[in-house]
Formats: sequence, structure tokens, C-alpha cells
Amino acid sequence: MKSLKLEFLKLKKKTRSWLGPILVFWLIMIAYPLTVELLPENLEVGFFSVLWIATLISMMLATEDIFLEDFNDGTLEQTIIKTTSFSSLVSTKVFIYWVLIGIPISILSFIFSFGTTENFDTSLMIFPLSIISSYIFLNLFVLGNALSLNKGSVLGALVTIPLALPVLVVLGKGVVAIQFNINFSGFIFLLLGCLSIIIVAVPLVVSYIIKAHLE
Amino acid sequence: MNNQTLIEAHNLAFAINGNKLFHNLSFSLTNGEAMHITGDNGSGKSTLIRIILGITNQTRGDVENNLSKGIAYLGHKNAVKNYLTLEDNLILMELKGHKDLKRYLEILNLKKYSDVIVANLSFGQQKKLALLRIFLNNSELIVLDEPFVGLDKQTQKILSEFLNNELDKKKSIIYTSHIPCKIESKVLNII
Repeated sequence: MKSLKLEFLKLKKKTRSWLGPILVFWLIMIAYPLTVELLPENLEVGFFSVLWIATLISMMLATEDIFLEDFNDGTLEQTIIKTTSFSSLVSTKVFIYWVLIGIPISILSFIFSFGTTENFDTSLMIFPLSIISSYIFLNLFVLGNALSLNKGSVLGALVTIPLALPVLVVLGKGVVAIQFNINFSGFIFLLLGCLSIIIVAVPLVVSYIIKAHLE
Repeated sequence: MNNQTLIEAHNLAFAINGNKLFHNLSFSLTNGEAMHITGDNGSGKSTLIRIILGITNQTRGDVENNLSKGIAYLGHKNAVKNYLTLEDNLILMELKGHKDLKRYLEILNLKKYSDVIVANLSFGQQKKLALLRIFLNNSELIVLDEPFVGLDKQTQKILSEFLNNELDKKKSIIYTSHIPCKIESKVLNII
């Protein structure tokens, strides 16, 4: 609980780190209808693709300096000396980033969905897809970020993009299910299943990678 | 390894990219003892400290410890957040509310900077902030890598006196320093 509070304080005060990805998401979603010559009713056709890609990019940007700053200023060394479970600290960090970046983006997803589709039920069903996928993307990019900790973290995050592609496919299928009024809860459970594996495996792997970097 | 021994190293060796930094290094440290690691630049003093701390793995040999209360460490990096105020950093360092905090903030002349963003403090002041981690520690081993660098004479004296007091309290200290200091310690020279 204490580490949650401390990580929250750190990220909250680092406005650029949490506001930047949210603004990028917001800008992409605002720019989408401006850049295509479509009738308002046809905007819906490409909207969800743009929504998921915007989420993906924002989550990638969110992880840009998740460990880099702590690595450079010596905080990670102090943490490793003090903490018995470094992987739980990684989990905490990712969770806080999701709370401050992933959840606002999911709320914005709901708002933009409602603005575009003018369908409250559809937009409401987009919200859980967005909230789960943002957490999955964040974990995947954290892995990439850790891999290239001292070599440019966005580059490392790009390496993990292929891992996010199956999630994008599931999201696409989920949207089709929503639009055709098919039961889409299977997609939610599939994403939750992926998430449950990822939130256990990624912190463990990342903690080993960071320890190797510190060596 | 007997009960009095806090740290014991046997035949430590470290090489990087085929370049041997040190080999066959053995030492032990008991409660209330200080060890000054000396050597030229690049001889591996900081690496040895990182091996003792468990951050870096040695190429050969082993390090055993009997630590139960943890380690207070200050290395080359201060581990303070530049974008936060001094006060916020104290919260992050989990020192806020410590019974001796106020006293040390006064001694180190940091009290008036509580609301100042750390990036706006001088290097020496940032180092003093990082040193609070040592001054307010509750560990049985203090490990310092060049702790006197960037400090004024007054603060160097305060730190030396503090470390001697800690030795009297049966705490142990491992440090490197190119700046002469008055700490009763055994010397481990890395060639």
C-alpha cells in the first residue's frame, strides 16, 4: 500500500508523463473526423480501428520513461537493495500508470464512441474492452521498455508491438460482435485471460531484465 | 562465518570484457568495524561495493552476510527526484516523520528549502538531501561510495563525526573515498 502511494505521488507530480499520452490520444481522436471526407454516419466505419490504434500508441508513449528516470537517478539501485520482491514493485508501477493514464483514456474512449456512434449501449460496451486492453498494452510495452532501458525506450516498445497485434484482432472482433448484437462477453473473458497471464509474467520478466541492466 | 561477522568475502574476482579488475580478494567485517576500500580510478572499488550490495554478480568467489536490518547505501547517484520538492523527496525516501529529521535538516541547513524543487538546489545541497538517507538510517551496515565528494568542509566534518558515532553504536561501515577523513577503519586496497 505504501509503495502504491509513493508511486502515485511520483507520477502525479510528473505531469508530462501522464498528461502527454492522454493528450496524444485525445488529439488522434479529434483529428480523425477532420482528416477524412466522410458523411457523419460513415465515420463509424473506421472509428473503432482508429480508437484501438490511438490506445496502442498512447500506451506506448506512456511507458517512455517508466523505468528510465529511476534507472538514471539511482532510485532503482536503492529499491533493489531494500525490496525483497522487485517484481511486485514493477506491478505497482504499471498499475499506477494504468490508473492515471489507462483509465482516463478508457473514459475518453467511451466519450468519443458515444460522440461518434450516438449509441449509448455500444459505447458502454466499448468501455470494458478499452479498460482491459489498455492494461494489456501497458504491460507489453513495459516489457519492451525494460529490454531497451538504456538504448531508447520507445524503440524497445516498438519491438513488442507484434505481441499487441493479437489483442488488436480480438478488439476488432469484439467491436463486430457489439455492432451485430452478438454476445461479446467471450471476447471480454479472452482479454481477461490474457491479462491474468500477462500481469503475473511481465513483472517477473521485467524485474530480471532490469536487474541485468543494473549489473 | 561466526555470529560476530557481518560480511565475509572469499576469493572474489571480477572481470569485464576479459579485463580483470580484481582477483582473490578476501575480507571480513564484524559489527562496529569500518572498512575503507582504496585503489586507483578504475580499479573496481565501486564494482566491489555493488557486489557486496548484491547489485552486480562477481565472476568468481562468494560473499556471505549475516544482515538482518538491511543496508543504508549512498552511491554515485543521489537517488533524488529533481522535479519534486525537497519535502516530496523526503516522503519518497520514507523519512518524513522521522524523529531526528528536523534536527538534521537544521544541521545540514536544508530546512528553508523544504518547498524548493530539487533541480533548483546546488549539487552539494542535493548530496546533503541524499545523505539524509544515511543520517536517518536504521540499518546495521552503511555503504558509501565517495560520500565526501561535493560536500563543504563543515558537512564533511559532520558526516565523519556521524560515522564515528555509528561505529560506537556497533554499526558497520564500508566506504570508498579519495578525500581524507577521520574514520577509524581497516583498509582494503584493490590493486
